[in-house]
Amino acid sequence: MAGLFLLMLILFMADMLTGSTQMAAPDVLKALFGSGPAGDEIIVMQFRLPKALTAILAGAAMSVSGLLMQTLFRNPLAGPDVMGVSSGAGLGVALTLLTLTPLFTLAEGSILSGWGVILAAWAGAGAVMIIIMAVSVRMRDIMTVLIVGMLLASAISAVVSLMQYFSNEVMLRTYVIWTMGNLGNISYPQIRALALATAAGLAIAFTMVKPLNAILMGETFSRTVGVRMQRTRIVLLASASILAGSVTAFCGPLAFIGVAVPHIARLLFGTSDHRILMPATALAGAVILLLSDIISALPGGGHIIPVNTVTSLIGIPVVLWIILGKTGLGRRF
Amino acid sequence: MTRSLLLTVTAALILTSCRHAGQHQAARPAPDTAIAGRLTIEREKYYFKVTVSQPWQNSSGIEQVWYLVPRDSIIPAGISEDHTIRIPVRKMICMSTTHIAMMRALGADSLIAGISGSSLIYDSIVREGLRKGTIRDVGYEGSLNKELVVSLEPDLMMAYGVADPSTGNTSRLSGTGVKVFYNADYLEEHPLSRCEWIRLFGLLTGREEKADSIFRSVSGAYRELAARVREDATSRPKVLLGAPWEDVWYVSPSDSYIGRLIEDAGGHYIYSDMTGPNSVPYSVESVFRRAAEADLWINPGAAESLSEIAAGDPRLASLPLFREGKVWNNRRRVTETGGNDYWESAVVRPDMLLRDLVSIIHPELMPGYDQFYYRMLE
Repeated sequence: MAGLFLLMLILFMADMLTGSTQMAAPDVLKALFGSGPAGDEIIVMQFRLPKALTAILAGAAMSVSGLLMQTLFRNPLAGPDVMGVSSGAGLGVALTLLTLTPLFTLAEGSILSGWGVILAAWAGAGAVMIIIMAVSVRMRDIMTVLIVGMLLASAISAVVSLMQYFSNEVMLRTYVIWTMGNLGNISYPQIRALALATAAGLAIAFTMVKPLNAILMGETFSRTVGVRMQRTRIVLLASASILAGSVTAFCGPLAFIGVAVPHIARLLFGTSDHRILMPATALAGAVILLLSDIISALPGGGHIIPVNTVTSLIGIPVVLWIILGKTGLGRRF
Repeated sequence: MTRSLLLTVTAALILTSCRHAGQHQAARPAPDTAIAGRLTIEREKYYFKVTVSQPWQNSSGIEQVWYLVPRDSIIPAGISEDHTIRIPVRKMICMSTTHIAMMRALGADSLIAGISGSSLIYDSIVREGLRKGTIRDVGYEGSLNKELVVSLEPDLMMAYGVADPSTGNTSRLSGTGVKVFYNADYLEEHPLSRCEWIRLFGLLTGREEKADSIFRSVSGAYRELAARVREDATSRPKVLLGAPWEDVWYVSPSDSYIGRLIEDAGGHYIYSDMTGPNSVPYSVESVFRRAAEADLWINPGAAESLSEIAAGDPRLASLPLFREGKVWNNRRRVTETGGNDYWESAVVRPDMLLRDLVSIIHPELMPGYDQFYYRMLE
């Protein structure tokens, strides 16, 4: 665990040192401690530092959200988006971008990643969360909740498709770029909000470590050891939604991190015990997203590739590995 | 009655002028042959042959040929009816705002029966026609209302292809009798080549002389001003262009339409080393580095004020040019619903666009000039 933490710190520094423009390591350090030229300082303090901090927060939050969903639904392929939280956030963004056109009548580029889009995404994710909770209170069977969540996600995607169909190219492009995920355009006040939401979500998640372990033993067992299933479900759904919804609001729908990272943590530590798995997943999530961010700037020459393409390319082999049953992870549920 | 009489006279005039031109081709001054665009017009004895090379993006090697034959002539042997347009056209659908601008400049806007994307149109006459129902919005691509297109019975649908149109929805119109012309004006990299497309509209609407005269005077004024700037400007201020989308900044190549305009207006585009057919995504970080040395910023997306830019990405507010307030957008002439004359009439008036840019980049050369398309942000 300490090793993972150390790795996170190393990658954090590496992420600061590498970027889409060339800057020598001593210059980065100077800028970081406020003694470099003003231009360098802006690049480091306004571009690289917020991006690296966002990678840590978003990586940890998405991964833990995925872990909670996998355990709650006892399904190795569950992730933050199975309940439609990401889709809900996407709907909020689509509503702002694609239908409120007079506010964003753009000719070419647009500058719009201000609070409007973030609040819309948050509202969308929150609305979906409330619907899922309402279903969850009425339905005893957790699989029903899963199915309702997935249906809801599909229905929302259809609505978004419809809006895309009727929108113009510029809006479409803006929306598509949003869906590619983005760690790089988040201001410090926004990072503060993301950090608060992540802290709240993680705090709730960490208090649920024991019930989560009990759920793995089956519902009947959980009841006998005094876990109140309905209440536990609601708390877990709330925590997972706050985490995933906030990250999606600030960074767009980050692909695969939520599904893949919990498995990586299980592989690394060879355990299903959430007391270890929870911090391990959070750290591994931060590590992977930092790594993805470093890779996304690799083409050099000022180009970047969208972070989602990188996380998917890391995530897909992991998911394949699970499906092929090589590690038998599925049996741990 | 008067209308049809007028048409007959026009057609007859064209016919005779064709004949004359066929005989004395050299006698007629070529409008402007210095710019090789994608449009080639060849004058044959009884018709015009119009060739569009590379009609859409990444279409090298592809050519589309049309024959413009006067209404009362017989289509010459060996020419397919499918590739023939009878001129002058009486009813047209214009899919792009640039087509509308050219029709308007020629005084041929009454021939427009349909347009696409009513909310993005600036022209007040066309908007009035839309409100009264004399002009209809036929939609675009996936939402193209094919039944409406057919029911309008246009002589021609002036369209544009973003990609190979055979994969798109517009191609489904083949077989309905509607002729679809893929106009490539928006792909022209030189502002004057883009303007030259007005000559096609001149032929189509029987206003050849007028079109040629507009093009000649516009290109003359453009070249004159560009030459004056080359002579008189003592510096080349560095220009930042465009705006980011999230963390991506699509950078226009220097040989693009706007890149040429900046160059001709005596500016030094900060990506002057980048050429190619398409915009390239760069990280905001890397653009920011170059932007730190820029003197002024044009076309910052949809932003209407400096504070809007700062709200979108606070980092941009720390640029020196931003602190000096040297930011101009191309949104002086816009409608409430998003129509922008920059994408409309400016295509026919690159000389005025250049004048705007010279007054921004070299205010000392144009003291007291009030910009037409551009506006300084506050």
